[in-house]
Amino acid sequence: MPGNCSPVSLPLATRLTRLLARLVLYAVLWSVLAGLDGRSWIIGLPAVSAAACCSLFFAPQRLCPLSPLGLLRFIPFFLNLSFWGGCDVMRRALSPVMPLNPGLVRYQVSLPEAPQQVLLLNCISLLPGTISADFSGQCLTIHTIDRDMPVWSTVHLLERRVAAVFGLRLAGGAP
Amino acid sequence: MSWQYSSAALFLLLAIVAGLGRILRGPTAADSMLAAQLFGTCGVAILLLLARGLEWEVLQDIALVFALLAALAAVAFALRTWGGTER
Amino acid sequence: MGLLHNLGTVCILLGIPFFISGTIGLLRFPDIYTRLHALTKADNVGLGFVVLGLSLQADGWHTVARLLLIWLLVLIASSASCHLVARAALRKKIEPWSRP
Repeated sequence: MPGNCSPVSLPLATRLTRLLARLVLYAVLWSVLAGLDGRSWIIGLPAVSAAACCSLFFAPQRLCPLSPLGLLRFIPFFLNLSFWGGCDVMRRALSPVMPLNPGLVRYQVSLPEAPQQVLLLNCISLLPGTISADFSGQCLTIHTIDRDMPVWSTVHLLERRVAAVFGLRLAGGAP
Repeated sequence: MSWQYSSAALFLLLAIVAGLGRILRGPTAADSMLAAQLFGTCGVAILLLLARGLEWEVLQDIALVFALLAALAAVAFALRTWGGTER
Repeated sequence: MGLLHNLGTVCILLGIPFFISGTIGLLRFPDIYTRLHALTKADNVGLGFVVLGLSLQADGWHTVARLLLIWLLVLIASSASCHLVARAALRKKIEPWSRP
């Protein structure tokens, strides 16, 4: 599995490829930020190199092995859900009776590694009716704005989609 | 500056000013922090609108810095000031 | 100005009600958790519409890329800080409000 090896034990070639991947990533980021003016690289080149070295030092694992197809399918899925999340909140905020029925729900996360869990946690807060309130071990505490909403199935669907972004398949089942 | 940018920015400014009421009412420090978050998101939107309306690209960079600072402020608040590192 | 420009204007104006309702939620909702809901979701959709509208009107891909980067950054920042504030509140034993 990628990600669990310490930097010392890695062969030089692996480390160089990882450094190169980060250099490319940060160079693209810099050209987005600073524009295509060639002179900007006087600052850009040292900044990009420093960023690549820092990120390799603090997070030596492979850049997340994403599945392009999974990512491509995830983006419209996420945009759609977060749009309905905004509409749902708007409806509740503007309605004179304020239909709120909040409560806490627990959810057992089966995603194995930190990057996937972070993506899941961040997306939950933008879904209709849920925010991720606490996470320890594999147990996620979700605050829902309406206990009548299908929280479990929504989060379960999201979890499977997040797994697909990283090219994983979850053994799914009933709670 | 054409009307759509200025009127949109004005409404966003109103949203911020109304949100400041939450700081006065509290009750916890976190509620005041939420108003600061509102300031962050609305501020970014206002800056982007002005950048387009005034044809002044630098404002986009300021919006970027705004977004970064809002994130740092919230993290520092939740981990250090209000949440505390213990427990 | 062409069709794209008008479409962009429509998107920008669509974003405003989300910001307004985020603020209304922040003022009306009963406890810290529900206010987090209002702020995080509504404001991000609002900013999404504004960014979409401005992208439709943008002069080149470079501006679009920068706008999307800003939106992504705000998205990550606000959902992460939403999680952190909610966690801090739970660990301080602040009880969520529930319908009596």
